[in-house]
Amino acid sequence: MAARNPGMKLDLEWVSKVRVNTQAVLKRAQHIQGQKIPKKQWQAAWLLKAVTCIDLTTLAGDDTPSNIHRLCLKAVQPIRYDLLKKMDMHNKGVTTAAVCVYPSRVGEAVITLKAANSSLPVASVATGFPAGQTPLETRLQEVRMAVAHGASEIDIVINRKLALAGQWEAMYDEIHQFREACGDAHMKTILAIGELGTFTNIYKASLVAMMAGSDFIKTSTGKEVVNATYPVAIVMVRAIRDYYLFTGQKVGFKPAGGIRTAQESLLWFTLIKEELGNDWLCPHLFRLGASSLLADIERQVGFQHIQYISIPYFPAYKYVSFNFFFFFYRSTIM
Amino acid sequence: MAGNTIKTVHDIFQSMEYGPAATPSYATAQAWLDRHSRSLGLFIDGKFVCPADRQRRPLTDSKGVDVCSTVCAVEDDISQCASSALNGFKAWSVLSCYQRAKVLLRLVSVLGQHGQCVSELCELCGASCSSSTLIRQLQYYSSWAQLRDTLITNWTPLGVVAVVVSDDCSLYSLMLKVLPALAMGNSVIIVPGLNTAPPALLLAQLFIGAGLPAGALNVLTGSDMSLCAKVAQNPNISHVTYSGNKQDGVMLCKATAGMGVPLSVSPCIGATCPFIIFESADIDSAVDEVIETAFKKKREVHWVLCVQESIVDSVVTRLKLRMAGMKCVALRSDGDRVLVDAAIQEAQQQGATLIQPCSVPPSGAQYPPTVLCGAAPSSPFVVCPAPGPLLPLMTFRTHTEGVTIGNHTPHGQAASIWTEDLTLALETARSLSVGSVWVNSHSVSDPCMPVSGHKDSGTCTDGGQEGLYQFLRLRSSPPPLPRSSPVSMDYSNFGTAACPAIIPDDSDPASAPKPYPQFVGGKACKSVSGCSLAVQSPGGSGVLAYCPDGGKKDVRNAVEAAIKVQPGWMKKSPSARAQSLYSLAKGLEAKRRDIAASINVQTGLSMDEAEKEVELGIARLSDWAAYCDKVQGGALPMPQSGSALSFPEALGVLGVVLPDKNPLLSMVTLLGAAIATGNAVVMVPCQKYPLPALAFIQVLQSSDLPAGLVNIISGGRDQMTVALANHSVIKAIWYWGSAEGCQYLQHTCTSPLKTLRLFCQKDEEGKDEGKDWTQSHPSFMEEMWRNAVQWKSVWIPTA
Repeated sequence: MAARNPGMKLDLEWVSKVRVNTQAVLKRAQHIQGQKIPKKQWQAAWLLKAVTCIDLTTLAGDDTPSNIHRLCLKAVQPIRYDLLKKMDMHNKGVTTAAVCVYPSRVGEAVITLKAANSSLPVASVATGFPAGQTPLETRLQEVRMAVAHGASEIDIVINRKLALAGQWEAMYDEIHQFREACGDAHMKTILAIGELGTFTNIYKASLVAMMAGSDFIKTSTGKEVVNATYPVAIVMVRAIRDYYLFTGQKVGFKPAGGIRTAQESLLWFTLIKEELGNDWLCPHLFRLGASSLLADIERQVGFQHIQYISIPYFPAYKYVSFNFFFFFYRSTIM
Repeated sequence: MAGNTIKTVHDIFQSMEYGPAATPSYATAQAWLDRHSRSLGLFIDGKFVCPADRQRRPLTDSKGVDVCSTVCAVEDDISQCASSALNGFKAWSVLSCYQRAKVLLRLVSVLGQHGQCVSELCELCGASCSSSTLIRQLQYYSSWAQLRDTLITNWTPLGVVAVVVSDDCSLYSLMLKVLPALAMGNSVIIVPGLNTAPPALLLAQLFIGAGLPAGALNVLTGSDMSLCAKVAQNPNISHVTYSGNKQDGVMLCKATAGMGVPLSVSPCIGATCPFIIFESADIDSAVDEVIETAFKKKREVHWVLCVQESIVDSVVTRLKLRMAGMKCVALRSDGDRVLVDAAIQEAQQQGATLIQPCSVPPSGAQYPPTVLCGAAPSSPFVVCPAPGPLLPLMTFRTHTEGVTIGNHTPHGQAASIWTEDLTLALETARSLSVGSVWVNSHSVSDPCMPVSGHKDSGTCTDGGQEGLYQFLRLRSSPPPLPRSSPVSMDYSNFGTAACPAIIPDDSDPASAPKPYPQFVGGKACKSVSGCSLAVQSPGGSGVLAYCPDGGKKDVRNAVEAAIKVQPGWMKKSPSARAQSLYSLAKGLEAKRRDIAASINVQTGLSMDEAEKEVELGIARLSDWAAYCDKVQGGALPMPQSGSALSFPEALGVLGVVLPDKNPLLSMVTLLGAAIATGNAVVMVPCQKYPLPALAFIQVLQSSDLPAGLVNIISGGRDQMTVALANHSVIKAIWYWGSAEGCQYLQHTCTSPLKTLRLFCQKDEEGKDEGKDWTQSHPSFMEEMWRNAVQWKSVWIPTA
């Protein structure tokens, strides 16, 4: 793994200079959405790449060891072996990037993965997810406990109150403390863009989060009304690019919430490729937070076989996908 | 498919490359071309006509494959076409507004059916235009067709309009001329360029299918611009309008000079346009957009990137990063490559540094996108931009300097400005002398936006309600120019004949004719040359007075004074301008006896009638005073979300060669129209009756108009016409005079382009000819002020 973003001193002048023109960003997003998506084996390859960038997620009140177990095993073997074999990708280590669970479920996930001989990282949301409305001390404690239980990636949520009030110093301090609490665990900072108001605010929050040492910035918790949209992503990746230009540090990006179809995942890759370049097209710098996406990708990869490699295909994924659909369904009606 | 099998999924998984671009299908367009055996004819009288024994002009696509060929029309075809167009005009103009609107709307549904064929054909011929753009244009103009008689009363179509475009003009610009002309009830002859010919022919066919009378839209194809002059020569043509590059436009101006056919020019191709990024801009968006527009394969304008000094590093770093990975852009020919290489070499010798994403291929008609940092307004590659993907970058310090640099080019087509500061955006938009200002966006065009090319970028307004008047004339006034054949004249000799010298004689000093001064820069003075002209009394029996014999230097002094005060005058509030005009009217009232006496002496009109003319003049000036705050723009109905504004702006300095008829009334009418809308004027009194205008100087002297706003220079008409025509600052000339004078102006006023309003008056007194200056009909006034303004549209997109 490359060096982590060490963060930097808060540069308020930089933050205050930020200006984002909403309609220009919307136009750019439209342009990207209008791009042709790859076909045939390009599509297959991109979809498999998408699989390797998924943080396979369940964040529901009724998560139990049983569905965590299934989730972990699916993460280790996300695409049917026979499909991968046809593409000669069976021995290329196609797994999802991580599993993402609540702090109390970290222990079970770690055990399952260990039992399956997998080194897949376990990510845990923390810091009073999703609202972040708990005292700082308990939020810090939550991070420490998740790490202690074996989580190697922590998805923290920012304190929206500070961002909306423009208290960037206070927000920087909080995130900085979270980063210290994370220790060696990678930190993904959730900006909850649906609650930040303007694109300019999103850009500023992204910068502050990176200055405070985030390894990833993440769009949303999946629990807000507005989740990962392409215009918001453009704003955030531009902040990432800006930060890279200034510091030379590459910070990762994780859209989450509402990404359900294989088609969308291809567009996300196009967006990242256009805006940040190929360097970011790897699980180290790009993650898709999703629960139901994997099922659709698997289905698409299956269709690809029927269409281009012409082998009869029987949708055996149904059994698995039912579960995933169920997770997703639960998490949205909460 | 062979290429596909080599790349395995794993290869792509590693490289994450894009797949091969899908090759577009042109099946429908090809089928249409095949139906016409790939040799397209002319479109005359509602059908394709394929005359034998004509030269043909081949059209190839971007890869050099033959697409089709078009006919080169000859004289016979032109006369057949013109007489068909005349019949077409009769059939089309007698229809009701509703019926004309219905035809345009029917074409919308026809396009719904055949849109695929149209857009494929456009794409195939390299004249890209989506069918949705065409539909928007049709819908916009169908509503104007419907409401012509309701909202534009007292105006009538011109007759047969020839729409001419150069080879590099887009189908959009072509249709921006054709559709308003049709909507107003004219018939149209399209003379398309090479690339726009097949789509124009197809659209003509679809138009007939939509119910357009045969002959109302004809298409003549040819080998080059010489065809256009031949078309303009045909006596059935009432108006010629041109869109395309500057050179062909100038050629057309010169070729049609003296034919007695008005020509409006929109040189929309090849202008230099500033792309201004202020420090308060969303830099990322600005950089993305400039890269998108500046390095296109087919560019209509040359962008110049102007960046505020405080953010130039930030912009350059982003340009480098965002351009990385871009590939070479195809040039039109190897010849272009030579030009590009020469421009780059010269730029580097002058210390410009380059940003290029890849290395320059040793030869071939392609070049990488290149930013030339360290440019200045005087750099040769800015002044004469080479074809190809080159983008000069220059810096400015303050907002004012940004505007100055943006205004530096001779063109006034468009500008893109980037800032999040609303006040700055609007201030800059008002200060740039361009037709379109795009705030935080670029290259947005819509038929609802009235756009006049400022400075060297045009002589007419296209789009919006304002653009319709190009294809209309007042019901009450006859066509201004009689059709004629150009006389062969020596342009360099025009207006050089010396006036008869005045020698002292022995007449009684008490009754000796009085010398009148002229009025330059707010001062009554003699001419620079010191010479005078004798003013003859009405019967021609003797010398009435002496007036100064002005010339080039007088005009130069007057224009210098005028440009000092004109911007301030334009910026004054309309009500302040109105007050000045009211006080001018009052001043005329105070001197009514003197002025009436001068009319009486000069023209031999009775004192009563002369006083009546002065009376009308006072009323006319008051009318113009009242018009000051009535000439206004507004918000435009753009389909996208945002604010589109239009502003009428003064043309600048106008030259007016005044008519013989009603010497005082016509002068105050034209003077009022010019200054009420914010212009400055240099007026030349008619040679025959100069005294009322010269007597009016005392009124001007006692007025509170800024010194230099109104100048009156007397002199020989032809000499003064030459002086006005050759002054590069004068933006428009209103001319009443001889046919030769008209021909001279049409031929000469091409660089920079001047907006000409020409009226041929016979030297013999024809009482009923020409304008009736005593009328005060609203549309009479409207026509005046519309000719005295140019339009600017500002587009501020918002989410």
